[in-house]
Amino acid sequence: MASGVDAIIVNIVDTSAGAAVSAAAGDTPLVYVNREPDNVDVLPATQAFVASNEIESGTLSAFEICKNLRADGKAGGARGYLMNGQLSNQAAVQRSKDVHDVIGMDMCNFMTIIDEQTANWSRDEAQDLMTNWMSSGEPFDFVLANNDEMAIGAIQAMKAAGMDMADVQVGGVDASQDALLAMAAGDYDVTVFQDSVGQGTGSIDTALRLIAGEKVDKKVYIPFVLVTPDNMGDFLDKN
Amino acid sequence: MSDTSHGTGGLTFDKTKRSWPSELNVLLALIIIIVIFEILGQVLPYMNDQSFLFDTRDRFDSIFNEARLKIIILQVAIIGIIALGVSQVIITGGIDLSSGPLVAATAMIAMSFGQTELVNGFANPKALFGPWAMDLPVLVPIVIGLFFGALIGAINGTFVAYFKIPPFIATLGMFLICRGIALWWSSGNPISFPTAQFHAIGGGMMPVVWFLSLAVIFHLIMRYTVYGKHTYAIGSNEEAARMSGINVKRHKIMVYMIAAILAAFAGIVLSAKASTAQAGMGEFYELFAIAMAVIGGISLSGGRGSIIGTVLGAMVLGVIRSGFTYIKLDGSYQLMAMGGIIIAAVILDQYRQRNKA
Repeated sequence: MASGVDAIIVNIVDTSAGAAVSAAAGDTPLVYVNREPDNVDVLPATQAFVASNEIESGTLSAFEICKNLRADGKAGGARGYLMNGQLSNQAAVQRSKDVHDVIGMDMCNFMTIIDEQTANWSRDEAQDLMTNWMSSGEPFDFVLANNDEMAIGAIQAMKAAGMDMADVQVGGVDASQDALLAMAAGDYDVTVFQDSVGQGTGSIDTALRLIAGEKVDKKVYIPFVLVTPDNMGDFLDKN
Repeated sequence: MSDTSHGTGGLTFDKTKRSWPSELNVLLALIIIIVIFEILGQVLPYMNDQSFLFDTRDRFDSIFNEARLKIIILQVAIIGIIALGVSQVIITGGIDLSSGPLVAATAMIAMSFGQTELVNGFANPKALFGPWAMDLPVLVPIVIGLFFGALIGAINGTFVAYFKIPPFIATLGMFLICRGIALWWSSGNPISFPTAQFHAIGGGMMPVVWFLSLAVIFHLIMRYTVYGKHTYAIGSNEEAARMSGINVKRHKIMVYMIAAILAAFAGIVLSAKASTAQAGMGEFYELFAIAMAVIGGISLSGGRGSIIGTVLGAMVLGVIRSGFTYIKLDGSYQLMAMGGIIIAAVILDQYRQRNKA
């Protein structure tokens, strides 16, 4: 399959197809970028994985929300919702797991998840899901989402229902342009920047080093960065 | 008159043998499903005696949980608009698989002309064209979007009617082409921040207003106009329709164009509602639209069914989706249950068809 190229960089869509893709590459250097293939721990010497560690993303986001809730005086008990991305996505699964892990910590176990459902990364689905949740009339203090688009959808639904966004903590991941503008408007509280440019250049660097026959780390992690109203100005031109 | 293998045009034609309109069956199913969710709310231990439809926390003036009633229909209104068009295509004996990607492509194209220059004092970071395309009168993106839909529909209809390509294949090809257009339009980048007027098209309960108004219009058209009767005729027996002097080719093109224009409109409403246009929008919309039509009694072999049925079919899907969230059902079970219900609805419909005198 690898005909006449020096290296391949792959953003694998179906993360369970890692073994097949790795086998098809043969001896050609292969770098997986952004999405973690399921065979990442057994990659041959000519292959590597460059991405951001999804354990960081969900954790940074949820932990910051936890701190914000404490600062708002809700350490006695806070209830909220969790929106999942597409359930077949490793990123969605890991980010949600991060949220549960954070809530399991002593410092944050005052938080309870009322319900967790998928909105498939989509703003529109998240709008409808949030409206569905609100129709039960249950009071809540926070909404966590696996990505910005769903968080924005939740915010739109809450605002349409007349809620004051100062009463609800909303957190997500991505730091997209739309999200940063929502943060500037005071609606969105926490997001996490995924350095996709860093992942891209990192994958090319790794590929070049593999071509040169150097030894590289199996997994190269580009860090996520927490984004709050305090430092959001730094990110307005990044995504 | 009792040839049940092709259907005989539903309400419009077979008045003598009609005893129990299929729409009533769908209504009954809707009521039963609501009752089931109501019971589950009482019976399941983690539910704490909540009610599905009734206002137990006394938040509204009426006895009903108005917020829930609203979201039940709001969440299916946009796909419902598509279903109104797809129903007509199916009644002619065809099918249209291109609706979902058409929603996305139209959303991208229309939104590019519906953006606003300044967002809370910041320049619109998602501007596709220059300032000349910003803050345009809202009619511009609407007309452009609907025109695009008409174009796609005309192509679909021409392939089906003149080139005799099976509708499944022709619209499947268009499904892929439109998804490609949606991705190509802005190189995969989202297009966001519409003008206030553009957002108003889809804000609040507007999607429901559009859905129900269009449903009334098309119900009247299908029942009482020549266009409607010809549509049923073509679906019942295309040869006979052609020999009766109906211009089948031209009529089919019209039907596919109407379906595509409705899907394009759905795309405009969707992007207005979400205040964004994304290349991945509309995923599975065409399938849910078809499901609404089928649950509502539209026969896939053509010639049978009504717009009222489609609206009820949409309500059924809305109730199910809200009900699943209500009982906090796990996501994977939701998909399995939804699939099972759609299959059951079709089996029930076939059974009724076979037993019709």
